Order: sequence, then structure tokens, then C-alpha cells
Amino acid sequence: MPPPDPAATILERERSLLASETRAFATRRRRETTRLLAIQSSLFVVLLVAWWAASGTLVDPLFLSDPITVARALLQIAIDGTLWWHLQWTLIEMTLGYALGVAVGLGLAIAVTAIPWGAQILRPVMLGLFAIPKVALAPLVIVWFGIYLVPKVILAASLVLFVVYFNTVAGIAAVNLTMHEAVRVMGASRLALLTKLVLPSAAPYILTAMRIALPGALIGAIIGEFLSSDRGIGFLIAAASSRYDTARVFAGIFSLLVFVLLLNAMITRIERHLTRWQPLPEAKKA
Amino acid sequence: MTAHETVLRACGVYKVFVARGGKARTALRDVDLEVRRGEFMCLIGPSGCGKTTVLNMFAGLVQPSDGTILHEGRVVDAVNTRVGYVTQDDNLLPWRSVIGNVELALECKGVPRAERRERARDYVGRVGLEGLEELYPHELSGGMRKRVSIARTLVDDSVHVILMDEPFGPLDAQTRIILQDELLRLWQGTGRTIVFVTHDLIEAIALSDRIAIFTSVPGSIKGIREVALPRPRDVFHIHETSGFSDIYDEIWNDLQEEILKTRLDATA
Repeated sequence: MPPPDPAATILERERSLLASETRAFATRRRRETTRLLAIQSSLFVVLLVAWWAASGTLVDPLFLSDPITVARALLQIAIDGTLWWHLQWTLIEMTLGYALGVAVGLGLAIAVTAIPWGAQILRPVMLGLFAIPKVALAPLVIVWFGIYLVPKVILAASLVLFVVYFNTVAGIAAVNLTMHEAVRVMGASRLALLTKLVLPSAAPYILTAMRIALPGALIGAIIGEFLSSDRGIGFLIAAASSRYDTARVFAGIFSLLVFVLLLNAMITRIERHLTRWQPLPEAKKA
Repeated sequence: MTAHETVLRACGVYKVFVARGGKARTALRDVDLEVRRGEFMCLIGPSGCGKTTVLNMFAGLVQPSDGTILHEGRVVDAVNTRVGYVTQDDNLLPWRSVIGNVELALECKGVPRAERRERARDYVGRVGLEGLEELYPHELSGGMRKRVSIARTLVDDSVHVILMDEPFGPLDAQTRIILQDELLRLWQGTGRTIVFVTHDLIEAIALSDRIAIFTSVPGSIKGIREVALPRPRDVFHIHETSGFSDIYDEIWNDLQEEILKTRLDATA
């Protein structure tokens, strides 16, 4: 038998090491994700059980209902189609409002930062408008924009716009100055600077704002529906509430909750895709 | 004797900076400097003497408080896109891959996609990063990032003047020498002009045709020395080249004075 080639042995060892480390890394990540999910869902179950136990013993079921009745109510409106019909309207209002808020916030931030001192000049005005409690303005918004789709869209947009605006301004201000200079010397036009340097650099700020602002769009739409509407989850909740149909109120709230979690998961995925150039948290530690 | 053509020129340049407290301070005093076409010129001097400010002025990023900066006889009064600038930090865009970073300058100059991809690929190979085109900057070592930073400046052949600000400063000694060698190979025979700021005298001698020595702050030109060593140079054994130690001693004498002054100022 010929003696084993030492170089081949070393290569073989290295190859198996690389393969096993890659596998171990994948397993570790999968295990972390599973563990996180397990903890999150057991927390949810604990809350449900606490609710179920408290209802009828500590609290009058009329105030809080109980998980089983709520589930039944939810199932019923899901089967008879009421839920989907209302959800669809809320979704339309919310999506339009969100898109409008993001577009205006982002556009305004880009326009304002293109002007010297623009952001500083506008700052008190924007802060003032931001501080207005939009909920208190809701009745006026109905007067101004009617009772149909528009006021809900406006309210949703108003809760999104400022978060996106302030974060984008901050993100643009945080652009690395010497990087900016280096790209200018390369002959970049103002537009090229914006698209190739400023916006990608501010992207983590903008994406965070878009994620944070998402529930705002929903709240805006729901407030609009509360005040005057004949459709939407907000209307469903308000109508049930006025009839003291607590189970139905909570059924509406739960449908919103699931909806928001789904949307959040979607945005997180987009965010991860757009920021895939960043080092993994593990690599940062090393 | 051939007449030298001046590419970059600083004429009687002063720079006064206003510090945070509102007090003005002179950074550069009456700087006269001529950079010849096709030469490799090093600017050397004690830290804080304003070498980088001179580069920033050549790039049009900083305007002199008095005096003028000329590029091929034209006053530089705005960002000078006819130079390439390798800044002290590599300033790679972290969201772009190696190849994407090298393509950036060509994109800004409007080179069509297919052509810029091909040229960028060629340059990535020339700086020895073949096969790493799709990696992101955070996945590279300091030396590799420097290579990308140099490649993305040199790849734009519409610029004939390259400014480099202590590009190898933060690297370890071996990597520095390897990169010096690579830079000389990339530059030799291209006819491009390089203005290279450093505080390392051996590096300056190994690389340059002429060395401008700066005084301590406020910076001005203390003297200009020719480095008459033959090319191509062996940077790995530069200190053994005949004539090296004479040049070294001569410049070190000038430099030492200025460095000591800086230290005395600091302790005063």
C-alpha cells in the first residue's frame, strides 16, 4: 500500500472542516430562530391563558370577554365574509395613506436637504406640525375632506409623513462627508450623488422609519373609520362596541393584530434584502 | 535638458482656518509648488503641517484664503473632476461590491455599462483581486480595501493626475511595501502624474521623482529634492540602492528640524 500523500490529507481535512463549520453555522442559526419563535409564542399563550382565567373570575366578561368567545366571534365573521369585506377597505385606506405619507415625507426631506439650511429653516414648522395631535384634528379632517376614502387616507398619511421626514433628514445628514467629497471629485452630478451615495447611505434610516410608521398608517385609517364610516375594521369595532358586543370588538382588534404582524414581517424581509451588504451581527463581534 | 511642463501649481497660497472657538489660525503660509507632468511627487512633512490641505486644494475641495491653484493653467475654483483622489480612508461605498466600487467613477463619467464592467474587471485583476469581484468591503482586509480604492481611481483613464493622501498609512509594514511596489508597476509608463502625501521618508524616496519638504505648521515649502534613483525601483531593497543613504540623510536633516519644532511647540 502506498503511503498517503500528506498534501492531499491536509486538503481533505480542510475540506471536511469547512463543510462541518458551514453546517454548524446553519444549524446554530436555525436553532436560534426556533428558540426565539418558541419563546414568543409561549408568551402569547401565557397572555391568552391569563386572560381566559381572569375573565369571569376577576373581571366581568362583559368588559373583557374571553379568548374562546372571541375566537368564536372571529371565526363567525371570517366565515360569513364580514371580516374580509371590512378588512379590504381598511387595507385600501391604509395602503394609500402609507404610500402618500412615505412619498411626501421622503420627497420633502430630499427637496429640503438639497437647499442650504433648508432642513434647519423648516425644522420648527415641521416639529410644530408633528406635535399636533392628529386624533384631535380628525373631526376637522372629515369636514375638510368629506366622509369617504380621502379623510382616512389623509389621517393615515399624517401619521406616517413626519416619522419618514425626520428620519430621512437625519439619514441624509449622516452621510460620510469625505465619502461625499470623494464621489464629487469623480465627477458625479447632483442626481448621481443622490442616487449613488446619499440615498443608499440613508437607506437604513429610511427603512427603519418605514417600519416604525406602518402601524401609524393603520391607526390613522381606523380613527377615520371610527368617526364617520360605514365600512372598515374601525367601523366594525365601533359598531360592536356601541352594542357592547365585546367579543366582536376583540375579534376586530385581533384581526388587526395579525394583519400588522404580517405587514411587519414583509417590511423586515425587504429591509434585510436592501441592507444585505451589511456585516452579519456575528461578523461584527469578531 | 527637456523643459518641464507644469500640471499643477500652487502660487503664493495661504490657508487660514477658523477654529471652533472662533480664533483664526494659519495652516499654510505662502506655499509655492509646481508639479510636473508625468512625475511622481511626494509631499512630506511633520503631521499637521497642511499637506492634506494642499491636496484638497488641488482637488478643489478647499479654496485658498489667498493665492491661486492652477491645473494646466486654469484656476481651480470648484471641485476638480479632472483629478483622481485616493483619500486617506478608503471611502469605499459599503453597499457596493468590489466591482461596483471600481465602476463608480466610470458610472459618474457616463461610460456605458458593458464597457465599464470590462474595464473595472480588468483593473480588479491588475490590483490582484481577481475572483473577489462580488465581495463587499467589510469582507476585505485593510490591504485589499486599499487595492480597491486605488483601482477605482486609476480605472478612470480620463484623469491624468492622481492625488494620494497617505494611502498606505494604516497598513502593516509588509503590506505597505507590497502595495508600494504594485503602485509603481501600475503607474510606470502611463505618463500619469502622482502627488503623494506621506510622513514616511523611506516611502517617499522609494516612490518619488521629487520630494517637497514641508515646514511645521504653518506649512510652507522648505525645499524640494530630486530623487535620482534609477527606475524601475526595487522597493523591497530600496535602502540598499546606491545613493539611497545620501538622499535619506540630506532630507532627514531638513525634516528632523521641522519635526523637532513641532514637538517643542507641543510641549511648550
